[in-house]
Amino acid sequence: MTRSPMKRAVALALVAAAAIAVALLPQALGPFHIRVLQFFFFAAATAVAWNILGGFAGYWSFGHTVSIGVGAFSAAHFGLIFGQAEGPWGMVLPLLAGGLVSGVFALIIAYPLLRLRGTYFAIAMLGVSQVVAELANNLSVFQGGVGLFLPSPVPSGMAPERFYYYAFAALLALCLGVSWAVKRSKFGYALLSIREDEDTAQMLGVATERYKIAAFVLSASLVGLLGAVYGYSLGYFTTYSVFRLDFSLNMIVFCLIGGIGTLFGPVIGAALLLFLTNVLLSDFLDIHLMLTGALVVATILLMPGGILRAGATLPWKRRARKEAKA
Amino acid sequence: MSLFLQTTINGLVLGGIYSLAAVGFSLIFGVIGIVNLTHGIFVVAGAYIAMLLFSVAGIDPLLAIVPIGAILFAVGYAYQRTIINWAISRASVEASLVVTFGMAMVFRNLLQLWFGPDVQTITPSYSFDSVTLGPIRVDMVRLAALGASMALLTGLTLMLARTHFGRAMRAVAQQPLASSLSGLNVKRIHGLTFGVSAALAGASGAIIGIVQPFSASSEVAWTLNAFIVVVLGGIGSPAGALVGGLVLGLINAYTATYLGPALTQAMMFLVLVLMLLLRPQGILGNAYGESR
Repeated sequence: MTRSPMKRAVALALVAAAAIAVALLPQALGPFHIRVLQFFFFAAATAVAWNILGGFAGYWSFGHTVSIGVGAFSAAHFGLIFGQAEGPWGMVLPLLAGGLVSGVFALIIAYPLLRLRGTYFAIAMLGVSQVVAELANNLSVFQGGVGLFLPSPVPSGMAPERFYYYAFAALLALCLGVSWAVKRSKFGYALLSIREDEDTAQMLGVATERYKIAAFVLSASLVGLLGAVYGYSLGYFTTYSVFRLDFSLNMIVFCLIGGIGTLFGPVIGAALLLFLTNVLLSDFLDIHLMLTGALVVATILLMPGGILRAGATLPWKRRARKEAKA
Repeated sequence: MSLFLQTTINGLVLGGIYSLAAVGFSLIFGVIGIVNLTHGIFVVAGAYIAMLLFSVAGIDPLLAIVPIGAILFAVGYAYQRTIINWAISRASVEASLVVTFGMAMVFRNLLQLWFGPDVQTITPSYSFDSVTLGPIRVDMVRLAALGASMALLTGLTLMLARTHFGRAMRAVAQQPLASSLSGLNVKRIHGLTFGVSAALAGASGAIIGIVQPFSASSEVAWTLNAFIVVVLGGIGSPAGALVGGLVLGLINAYTATYLGPALTQAMMFLVLVLMLLLRPQGILGNAYGESR
């Protein structure tokens, strides 16, 4: 992909501006808003990672929270077995363990599950997340029922919400970087061909099976890493604080509203929805569900491509184009 | 031995109710090709209406099936002709999956606002009666529920096989284009299919109301159950729903008795995933052939 140097300079400047803004923002905000942003970075990053499989390859997983859970559990058990050094760097090995175990788990289930397509894959993933959650909860080895403690990696003198704010911001940047690299590579084009027409892609010599599995493992590893950090940010967690159906649904809804298969769509969707529910409507907790649902329906009916593709898909625009053609 | 027999009977009774709760989902999946994630809402709405009719007017939930069916038929028809239809014509069949999911969130929230988040039950006068046959004991309500389920499933089978409308529905499922060329109003039949399906779901809700506790958030479980039943039994036919429902009921009962009630969900989904991998078309296969 060739890009003009002008465009590249603008893109670099924007990235730098965003990084500086993210770095300075906590100075201006109170703990509550830092916490909201911390959760936003986490949720947006999971959606960006989901998008690698769901958006690029078109394989919608309705159970991606399984990776959050596996990541958090792996990090906690790694710490229990091998011990953990003090301070923020002690967190690194357990986090890598979280990402790795999550990726390996995805690799194991990928081969059978990715033979399913469409709704069947979506619901099978939902099934996997339920089964793993119940096993983590009921088998005493995993201690999901009683809960697990993670030692705090926050350096002394730093507020925990600030520490996790920066941690999740860095992870969001990582996920966006990976997603960007995938999207512009041969790998990304292979995933796109799978989404558009898997059978034809296979016939033309694209190794669809291998690419699908790679996308699944990549997506699950990133979400596993995020889940491990999320486990640390909770400090103490049980099965149902990490295996959460609403996490799975959020990943889908954020992508859908922002623009599925685009780089920044998941981030925009997450920003919009979390701003709406956490800030604007924080006093109307009992209608959050309705609002989210209505927004999803409206997005599909009015701009099926999400906000980032809204220009082309709004009903009146489509009508205008149809008339222009006729 | 008597424990095994009792478990089997419990499983079959439960399975009969699962079948009725799933058959509408199966019909929509088979005829229109949509996975209707609002299905559980229809079930729970049926249970709530039955609860209202029972507490306000004293109507027995099993008799309330008739008005509930009528109400939900209208709701289902209107729902398909408006929102579902818009989603299919403006976006795609896949998008309709997400739309039904969004609508399920809206409806669940509405039910919670109207009826509160508490778990509800309906207790008619015969709630605590039971029938004993040797060592086996079955609650009267469960027996009545099973009877009503079987009657409704038989009615649906006869309608699909014998009436003009049933034939039209099967034709639309197999060849939508050819049916419209032969003078069938495909859009209307899609709407009516949704109506019939919602009515059956509502009826099953009334029955579930007297057998089990329910709340607005149990809609998710009923939608998932319906999906599992369809995957187990096969798409589109009452017979498939019956087989799938009974198998699911048995799996549920055996797991609860022999492995522990905490593992029923895990077992159900394990069977679902295995079934998807080994025989994705279900035990009886798709009633409408390879067209989907």
